[in-house]
Amino acid sequence: MAEVTFPLPDLGEGLISARVLEWLVAEGDWVERNAPLVELETTKSAVEIPSPQSGRVARLHVGEDEELAVGAPLVTFTVEDAGIVGTVPEERKPHRRVRLTLPED
Amino acid sequence: MPEFSLQQALNVALCHACEDDDRVLIFGEDVGTLGGVFRVTDGLRDKFGEHRVFDTPLAESAIMGMAVGLAVAGWRPVPEIQFDGFSYPAIDQIANQVARMHYRSRGVLNMPITLRLPSFGGIKAPEHHGESLEALFAHVPGLKVVAPATPSEGYHLLRQAIADPDPVIFLEPKSRYWHRETFDPTEPAEIPPPGTSRIARPGEHGTLVAWGAMVARCLQAAELAAEDGVELEVLDLRWLKPIDADGLARSVARTRRAVVVHEAPLSAGLGAEVSALITERCFADLRAPVQRVTGFDVPYPSGALEDEYLPSVDRILTAVQTTLEYRRG
Repeated sequence: MAEVTFPLPDLGEGLISARVLEWLVAEGDWVERNAPLVELETTKSAVEIPSPQSGRVARLHVGEDEELAVGAPLVTFTVEDAGIVGTVPEERKPHRRVRLTLPED
Repeated sequence: MPEFSLQQALNVALCHACEDDDRVLIFGEDVGTLGGVFRVTDGLRDKFGEHRVFDTPLAESAIMGMAVGLAVAGWRPVPEIQFDGFSYPAIDQIANQVARMHYRSRGVLNMPITLRLPSFGGIKAPEHHGESLEALFAHVPGLKVVAPATPSEGYHLLRQAIADPDPVIFLEPKSRYWHRETFDPTEPAEIPPPGTSRIARPGEHGTLVAWGAMVARCLQAAELAAEDGVELEVLDLRWLKPIDADGLARSVARTRRAVVVHEAPLSAGLGAEVSALITERCFADLRAPVQRVTGFDVPYPSGALEDEYLPSVDRILTAVQTTLEYRRG
């Protein structure tokens, strides 16, 4: 297990900060990569940021309606030690469509 | 009792192997400073020093060539090739040198090499990171091939492979690296000899034969089949060369139906070998032809298509139903 912190990304030319409109996840949530993470508002537009990482949300560094600078910590994930490529497979309960019937004899 | 993931169990096995035998050397790309891309060699360089655990250049053929030289000089090399797909450049060394040296030297030289190879798919990795090369290696005379399915097996089979005087290709199922199990590696377990299989789940209506990550998938299928009153035996083959033909025959002769499940493509895959062995040994016992559930005959697909490519529970159950329904015409 490791902790990975993501800073507020550069959302466009000349923008140096953004305001958190709404967190779409809470601390303790499991988030898939590319799932909606947070809605941010800049002086130009409001944007939804997808999660850059699969992992469990350990800390949200800013509250809603708070402003933060590009490069400042946004969110920290707890992630499995996944190595440099690939993702840690989820252990899901298997779904089935096929049923079996024993022969009569 | 302590809990280990497969990657941790393998790490402990390497650690114990280094402690028990000063001739064990661990090397490969990123195994030293980084501790391996899957953390399997984590901490070993700090513990045993950079003369026994060291990084190599990105040159797989050289890694295996070096292993041959070190083995001739009396060491017990445990090289790692970072990913299955990158072992292709090393096939020349593996097939032409590693596998033949004992034979070529009329038994004078041993090749106590254990090639660790993170193998198979299931982690949605990019191209060249999800191959299933077991049939390729198993076909080369002189090589032993083994694939663990659980952390405790990973520990014991790796210790066994390193202790073996012959070259062993050790295929680690990447998708199972994070799977955890409770066991005590210091407990002297009764370790079956190389080349033996394991019944992972007993059953009476048919045998699912699998290895590596597909053992877990078959156990899921067997659990679902049990809901329908169909008790499937799951045979974890473990050793892919030599194959436990006796164990295989014992199971199938009792259950009278067999489905072989593997990730590699169908054509000329190891499932064909297993199926042939079953037919040779159990022809009269079989109630239905042996079925195979495998990856498709395409290059390993991108992560987005991986779930379609890998044998699913439904594909396994469908094959089981085929054997249940079969009637001699």
